[in-house]
Amino acid sequence: MVKTGHQPRTLGDRARPHGQSVRWHRAVDHTADVGLRAAAGTGEGLLEEAAAALVELSSDVGRTRELRSEAIEIEADDLEQLVFRWLNELIGLAEVRGEALARTTVSSLRRGRPGWVVRGQAWFAPFDAKEVRPRLQVKAVTLYRLCVTHGPDGWALEAYLDV
Amino acid sequence: MTMTMTARGVSLERIDDYRWRIPRDGRLGMRVEGLIFADDQLIAPLREDPCLTQVANVATLPGIVGASLGMPDLHWGYGFPIGGVAAMALDGGVISPGGIGFDINCGVRLLRSDLEAADVRPILDRLADGLFRAVPSGVGSHAGYRLSSVDVDLVLRRGADWAVTAGHGSHLDLAMTEEGGCLSGADPSQVSVRASARGSNQLGTLGSGNHFLEVQVVDQVLDPQAAGAMHLREGQVTVMIHCGSRGLGHQVCTDHIGAMERASRRYAITLPDRQLACAPLGSPEAEAYLGAMRAAANFAWANRQLITVAVRRTFAELLGAAAADLPLVYDVSHNMAKFEQHRLNGEQVELCVHRKGATRAFPAGHPALPEVYREVGQPVLIPGDMGRCSLVAVGLPGAMAETFGSTCHGAGRRLSRHAAIRQLRGVDLVAELRQAGVIVRAERRDLLAEEASLAYKDVEAVVRVAAGAGHIRPVARLRPLAVIKG
Repeated sequence: MVKTGHQPRTLGDRARPHGQSVRWHRAVDHTADVGLRAAAGTGEGLLEEAAAALVELSSDVGRTRELRSEAIEIEADDLEQLVFRWLNELIGLAEVRGEALARTTVSSLRRGRPGWVVRGQAWFAPFDAKEVRPRLQVKAVTLYRLCVTHGPDGWALEAYLDV
Repeated sequence: MTMTMTARGVSLERIDDYRWRIPRDGRLGMRVEGLIFADDQLIAPLREDPCLTQVANVATLPGIVGASLGMPDLHWGYGFPIGGVAAMALDGGVISPGGIGFDINCGVRLLRSDLEAADVRPILDRLADGLFRAVPSGVGSHAGYRLSSVDVDLVLRRGADWAVTAGHGSHLDLAMTEEGGCLSGADPSQVSVRASARGSNQLGTLGSGNHFLEVQVVDQVLDPQAAGAMHLREGQVTVMIHCGSRGLGHQVCTDHIGAMERASRRYAITLPDRQLACAPLGSPEAEAYLGAMRAAANFAWANRQLITVAVRRTFAELLGAAAADLPLVYDVSHNMAKFEQHRLNGEQVELCVHRKGATRAFPAGHPALPEVYREVGQPVLIPGDMGRCSLVAVGLPGAMAETFGSTCHGAGRRLSRHAAIRQLRGVDLVAELRQAGVIVRAERRDLLAEEASLAYKDVEAVVRVAAGAGHIRPVARLRPLAVIKG
């Protein structure tokens, strides 16, 4: 994500479990920290895309077969809190495990009572000198300017991360 | 007096050579004015910067007194600006975790040696290698051991004293640390299992980003009397350490800011920015956060204490046992909320002072200072960047009168990480710094550009403003010899 500059980075035509083929994320300049914008056809795809941005920012994960997964379920009052908690959960899990976040899949995003519930899976890779290298430490995702929008054209978010 | 409107719709008027006012604007919900310390050079880029809006946003918080303050290293943050100071009345005021930040009690400490630069130059590469090995740095860095939950609890309650009692350092270290290295009122029960788990193997580690460990030389003494009180002299080797509460502190803020958002709604507090989520002082949410914040602050002091011991051990291994004598000059926090006595409208009152990227700068005579600094004022440690210099200063009465005893915490960034990388594409920064006499060790050499000198303002220009405003007096300039980065 931080490597992509200011232009939207499409992830090509790879079929994804959720959303349309066009999904992207990109870095937004911030003097001290890092901003990100992401978009996808569905809410599930958006959460995966935001997580993909987090992966690119925090580590360089090359070819590795040694992925270990963890199930995640999060509830929140609104979509912004949900994104805040989803990304911070990924940051916290990676640090406690001492591994790199490698990828995520989101199986469902639905309205709860009240608020929203997300269910998904996160995969982590042990650090090694060649294929899985730490990059920038992301301390947390902040609530600053955190915004999630959705409509007929799809889903989008903006978030700022303390690094 | 000239009033101008900034690009982001915040009014800004010059007061004098070092002061700018954001007039109180009721339409924005500002309860007090904004007051920014900058000269023409420092204010120019801020006119287009969101940090002025952030100063105005902080001015809307309930119970804020005096002004929403921007130190000379002010720059764009999240919620609070970095370099932001806000004091809240105990009656009607709030605590906002965003006013402390995720890296609770991030701070700086300075060690002095009896060595001259000439003593270390011949072995500087080996010293840098030794320090790089002894103090784990970078993302995912861990200490090689894991604290038990009982030990984590003790660290959270006792801070640097836990380390000293366990044989890591001396009581002199505690005497030279703000608050003696331990905030009372820490409540480990408010620190989540996740937070403790993130911190349990990180004690004694540097982390990444702008955190660093530097071997320096005193390049110039600017105030002989204060330098004498700190036992600093020209040509002397010093060591500066900059880091905080690691993952434990990050998780404490994450956990409590969610609760604060709900509290803000419950107490009907209208916020211009969700990151300013807050709760009334004295409320259960505020007490819970303060208990956790103090615990995280204690963790940070224990962390810097263990790093200190690792530095002393490394010096002894490479330069002989006598070189391990590296007394602590002082340890300051720059991300913290503290309950302090200040004069407000002619009366002595207790206030909750938020410092987000701002250093306490108490003047001579203040009872909170160690005896040895009572005559000269509190040492203020102001790191610059890895290519230029850092400054040591002392607090002045002007800081108590105008900024609730606060000043700048560093140079302040001027470029984003991406912009710094873009501007330094193709440049071998390590080789350039070596050419300039600075040895660098980093976990990721390819990411060093993010922390290059050009990414930062000139710390001497920043300190000139803080001194010109009467908040601090510069004491000594320190030049880097070897830099360890995460």
